[in-house]
Amino acid sequence: MVLGLIWGLIATKIGAEKFTLHWIKPFGTIFLNLLKMIAVPLIFVSLVKGISSLTDMSKLSRIGTKTVVYYIATTLIATTFGIALGHIAQPGNTFPDEKKAIYQQKWEQTLSEKQQQVEETESYPLKFIEDMVPSNIVQATGDNSKMLQIIFFAILFSVAMVMIGKKSDAVSEFIGSLNYIVLKIIDIIMKYAPIGVFALLAGVIVDFSGDTDIFLALGRYFFTVAIGLLLIIFIFYSAYIKIFTNIKLIDFYKALLPAQLVAFSTSSSAATLPVTMKQNVEELGASEKVSNFVLPVGVTINMDATAFYQAVAALFIAQVYGIDLSIGQQITIVLTATLSSIGTPAVPGGSIVMILIVMGSVGLPVEGIALVLGVDRPLDMLRTVVNVSGDTTINLIISKSEGELNYPVDKSTGTES
Amino acid sequence: MKIKSNDFNFYALNVFIINKLKFMKRKIPLWLKIIFGMILGIIWGLIAVNLGLEKFTSDWIKPWGTIFIKLLKLIAVPLIFISLVKGVTSVTDITKLSRIGIKTIAFYLASTVISIVIGLFLVNTLKPGGTFPEEKRKEFQAQYEQTVKEKELQAAEVKERSPLYIIEEMVPDNIILAMSDNTKMLQVIFFSILFAIAMIIIEPSKVISVKNIFDSLNDIILKIVDLIMKFAPIGVFALLAALVTDFAGDADLFLALGKYALLVCLGLVGLIFFLYPPFILLFTKIKLKTFFRAIFPVQMVAFSTSSSAAALPVTLRQCTKELGVSEGVANFVLPVGVTINMNGTSFYQSISAIFIAQVFGLDLTLMQQLTIVLTATLASIGTPGVPGGGIIMMVIVLSASGIPAEGLALILGIDRPLDMIRTAVNVTGDSAVACIVGHSENELDYSVQKNYSS
Repeated sequence: MVLGLIWGLIATKIGAEKFTLHWIKPFGTIFLNLLKMIAVPLIFVSLVKGISSLTDMSKLSRIGTKTVVYYIATTLIATTFGIALGHIAQPGNTFPDEKKAIYQQKWEQTLSEKQQQVEETESYPLKFIEDMVPSNIVQATGDNSKMLQIIFFAILFSVAMVMIGKKSDAVSEFIGSLNYIVLKIIDIIMKYAPIGVFALLAGVIVDFSGDTDIFLALGRYFFTVAIGLLLIIFIFYSAYIKIFTNIKLIDFYKALLPAQLVAFSTSSSAATLPVTMKQNVEELGASEKVSNFVLPVGVTINMDATAFYQAVAALFIAQVYGIDLSIGQQITIVLTATLSSIGTPAVPGGSIVMILIVMGSVGLPVEGIALVLGVDRPLDMLRTVVNVSGDTTINLIISKSEGELNYPVDKSTGTES
Repeated sequence: MKIKSNDFNFYALNVFIINKLKFMKRKIPLWLKIIFGMILGIIWGLIAVNLGLEKFTSDWIKPWGTIFIKLLKLIAVPLIFISLVKGVTSVTDITKLSRIGIKTIAFYLASTVISIVIGLFLVNTLKPGGTFPEEKRKEFQAQYEQTVKEKELQAAEVKERSPLYIIEEMVPDNIILAMSDNTKMLQVIFFSILFAIAMIIIEPSKVISVKNIFDSLNDIILKIVDLIMKFAPIGVFALLAALVTDFAGDADLFLALGKYALLVCLGLVGLIFFLYPPFILLFTKIKLKTFFRAIFPVQMVAFSTSSSAAALPVTLRQCTKELGVSEGVANFVLPVGVTINMNGTSFYQSISAIFIAQVFGLDLTLMQQLTIVLTATLASIGTPGVPGGGIIMMVIVLSASGIPAEGLALILGIDRPLDMIRTAVNVTGDSAVACIVGHSENELDYSVQKNYSS
């Protein structure tokens, strides 16, 4: 990344823009295309796998429903919060207007086409839900902008699988296999990431004509996201805990701390899972039975921070490019971010693919992702912390509602009282 | 103490009635719910028109109907591909397969030709166009001139192609492209059959994994159909409400075209009750009541959606589950019928052609009428599944028999509502042939039929 930055700045100073655009930027585009390429298979396969795996827990169906509902609810709240924060903090709007006008000119053609499209379709309120249903699944799969439709079909498909039970086994295995393959492909693509990021960043800097204002905007963006994430942990989650359980906040945060530290350093909810479970069961008294279901599911499905992040990132990019998003588009972002956070695998690089999906669904220029790629890693560490905290919060709430929360935990015997 | 037989009967009767009532309270059958939905939809539509609520209905109710149609269309292509492959592969004997194929096409052609002939007969005897006022004709022609001209151009293109064009069109050059286009079902069917035949020919152990996946997918898709159908009552409610509000103003159109519209409507309904029963009674052992009971939901969905393709999932389900047609036969005969067999449409085309001729005061020779039979038959096979596709075909039928195509202007106005009834007839015809072919191959499981007593 740094190299890309440096190159970009040098290139603009010595007038090597054209060279950069011809010989370097394409590699960045290739990287982007690779990610986009894997997006549709990823979303379909991992969603289907995720939802149909709930069938193994069918005997816990009441808990299963509660889990899914709470997870989705918190994610929706987080995403909406992201949009709100994006509006309030306006990280992308530190660009002085004349500069924005210049960039707008560059993208003007595409922008005005899109706007024309939007105006031509006469809209009515429910059209938005109507658009979510594809009339031909192969057609929807062939179009990167129709992610919501693909997600709808994936959910319908996997619900049917769950309802059939054993008869869908052949397909289950097949999808499971595909899932591994897709994740491996992402692995391979990510090995190419350093070069891709270099090229992308160099290209972006050159495109923005070596404008250092972009860094200011990026800084604001970074802080917006970081503060937002902290707010989620300390305000939203403590609210949930206070309302739905009787756990003292101090105990909650104390118990959570080790898990959060591991999450921060590994950037992986999956890797942190053992610690999360230990803390939940031993320090906070959640029942083992419930935790064994809710927490692993949460690792895959519940990513409040990721969804929040996607919303803010999308808004930021839109603001930098001077694009105004309609209410309909913002709702699309909320939905796509929520649904795709369900499908996001807990691997590095997964969330980048998802941002592309969210951006594509409202027609934002995908080159914009180069802007946020630079600060993605450190934010990823923070995001994982929040994701893990969210999983724990829901786990505690469900345990309590099932009457299986043994709090306060009796430490003297070393087991739950 | 002896129980008097009268008391016992009385007691038994009471128990029976009470059980029936309990049963009905708990489980209202789907077809009944669909009827409720339709009736409520019509009532709503009428109320809405009277209260000026058209826009509200259009904004808030119609979308649910559109969603319902979209859902059905969504599942149509996967359903055709997967169930066709499963069905064809379950017929492991290739000669049996070709026998089924030939029978299917033969029956489809026969029913189409008969429908056309009936149509010709009715329209020639009743002469609806004879009393059509001259000024009205001029008025319609002026109104629809533009549309007719467009269609004539398109029809000219179609005529340019060779007669074998239909066969050429059947073969896709990219299967993904074909699957992504809801109008290219014939190509998907072609590929599915090719694929399935290949599966049959290869040694079973080599294709077992594909077969397992397809079996699994088949179950999943049928389940999805189940889920979609639970939404059906709401869907048809919305569809009919929207239809009534959309067509409120066209009541006068109906009056003007009075005799013609009446003839078409009654004729189509008549086809259902007079054309198919003889076939069913002659070639199968199915009780008529059972047949119509089972087909009713299909007709209702076809009526509300105006699309045989959208109704296909329901058709398949009813034919296999309630009429006992084997999956092997149904999965082949029905998708093919959706594309090829359109008894209602061809009936409509023959009546419309002669009606237009009568309005223009033309007398048609025997030769011309035979031409109508021929072109209408070919047209119903080749009619693309696009809205308005039927109209292009009408242009061809008309010009092939020397009738002025401008006459189309007369009937364009009420095409939509008639389309609904036509579709209902089309699917009835498909189902009837499925039963007939099933029975003739001994693949009709009578025991699933509710009223069957051997």
